[in-house]
Amino acid sequence: MTSTKISFRFMFALLVTAFSIYLVFFLNPDGALRILLNLLTFAGIYGLSAIGLNVHFGWTGLLNFGHASFMGVGAYVTLLLMPHAAGREGEVTTTGLPFFAALIIGIIAAALFGLLLGLPAIRLRGDYLAIVTIAAAEIFRLLVRDLESITGGVYGIINYTENFQKYRPLFIDNFSGNLGFSPSQAWVCLAAWVSIFFTVLLLKRLTNSPWGRALRAVREDEDAVRAMGKNAVWLKLQSFMLGAGIAGLSGVLLAFNYGSLETTVFIPLLTFYVWAIMILGGVGTITGPIFGSIIFWVIISETDRLAYLLFENANGQQLAGVRFLLVGVLIMFLMIFRPSGLLGKKEELLLDVK
Amino acid sequence: MSNNLISVNNLKKSFGGLKAVDVQELSFKEGELTSIIGPNGAGKTTFFDLISGFQDADSGSIFLKDKDISNAQPYKIARMGMVRTFQLTKVFDRMTVMENLLFSGSNIKNDSFLRSFIKLNSQKLYESNLREKANEIMNDLNIGHMANSYARELSGGQKKLLELARSIINEPEILLLDEPLAGVNPKLAEDILSLITKLSDSGITILMVEHNIEAVMKISERIVVLAEGSLIADGIPNEIRTDSNVIEAYLGKADE
Repeated sequence: MTSTKISFRFMFALLVTAFSIYLVFFLNPDGALRILLNLLTFAGIYGLSAIGLNVHFGWTGLLNFGHASFMGVGAYVTLLLMPHAAGREGEVTTTGLPFFAALIIGIIAAALFGLLLGLPAIRLRGDYLAIVTIAAAEIFRLLVRDLESITGGVYGIINYTENFQKYRPLFIDNFSGNLGFSPSQAWVCLAAWVSIFFTVLLLKRLTNSPWGRALRAVREDEDAVRAMGKNAVWLKLQSFMLGAGIAGLSGVLLAFNYGSLETTVFIPLLTFYVWAIMILGGVGTITGPIFGSIIFWVIISETDRLAYLLFENANGQQLAGVRFLLVGVLIMFLMIFRPSGLLGKKEELLLDVK
Repeated sequence: MSNNLISVNNLKKSFGGLKAVDVQELSFKEGELTSIIGPNGAGKTTFFDLISGFQDADSGSIFLKDKDISNAQPYKIARMGMVRTFQLTKVFDRMTVMENLLFSGSNIKNDSFLRSFIKLNSQKLYESNLREKANEIMNDLNIGHMANSYARELSGGQKKLLELARSIINEPEILLLDEPLAGVNPKLAEDILSLITKLSDSGITILMVEHNIEAVMKISERIVVLAEGSLIADGIPNEIRTDSNVIEAYLGKADE
């Protein structure tokens, strides 16, 4: 029944994505590849985060506006467990866990933070949960900022990238040299897309399983779930933990992409970017956010070039204004054209929050 | 205690100053088909909410199979074998009819994250048995042809049928039906009534809130009448038909 429709949606998403990548080459005759690598790295990291958010909102109907804090917990816990330098003095700690051990603990910490936040908050419905999560995310960010002795506060954390870069395979250095890439960013980019690959595999396995079905039932009607003898609160908490864990992983990748970690990374804007990506890609889908993320980052990063081409005589200040106007227009255009996102099904349009 | 499956004592619930339910003593025997009737606002649905755990009582106690369930969670009560439907039909709109039934029929062990991740053969077998059972029930209720449609595409009557199908797939001991005939056409109402009778004959204890008095009189073994939260009559249909309290509650006092 829907197989032809699905393939049409998929082809359409591929086409739009391919076109947006073509735009990068078109708008940047020089150095397009380097811009593309930067863009695909961010797209991979944010896309991964949006896949996690989709477990919360698309699958379970949880309005989580504190996604940045899950990314933040993953990033901070992982970095602080490894050798690093934090704070104004920037004293280097030489002891710490190896990367993979720290990463796993970081992901678990993000999931547990989801549980911790969920326990009191998850009984709330809809918009109330949204308010609590956005507040909790800000509390997390301000706490991290003020606990300067541990987290480096506003001075942030540095000297940690080597923990991850030392695993960089040689072939990345080789082809990065040829193409003029930064090899360390190419390694982060590869790690992000490999993470996406395995996360998608995991979620594909779960989506049509009895567990995934139960989450969707919670999304549709909690009271009916209870009446059928199912513990809706526990199902929501599990969903919160899984999505938070995925966000934690993407937070770690984000930290490695930056090279230094500051609390300003986890401002609410990060959450809203992730939301935009999920909605663009298709709420309730698994692979939608991947396409949404690439298109979103092309729009974000290439609109200044576009504005420059459209208005040759404009100065920088004027261009900055036009640029965000273009971002708005392009996203609006996509949403009018595909209201349920690139891969979303019309029958499952999930933006009508109860 | 006795052969009472459900019994309530001094059950009270009010909303602000409004007394919604105030029942001294009421019990239901195993296998009975009881209807709860009363004018609008009599507290019938609140009574259902209280015994199914969706609302907490202000005071009083509720026993199910001699276990105190006064402040128990709804899902725990449902697991004890008492399943309810809702006045405003609650189906899982953006899931297919089949998925609605599979979710409702699947036990908690089968729903677990770990089992869903590992996907043992035993789970596949369980699911395919469940699918067979769901198909059987759907065909019995004439919604088999809608199995792969989204539940929100069903008509109002079909949604009622789906909700009923969902409630019986786990073979409950007690069914609480909240207005199963509301908004249903006469032909479908007939079907639903005969289904309810059939379920009752198979030994399920049924409590039903319903406004269609004719239907209530026809199929009930016992009728309980509530007005302004209190019990005003309790008996077999023929007694209720002539009970002066009931006539007064429905039609107002003779001298007014």
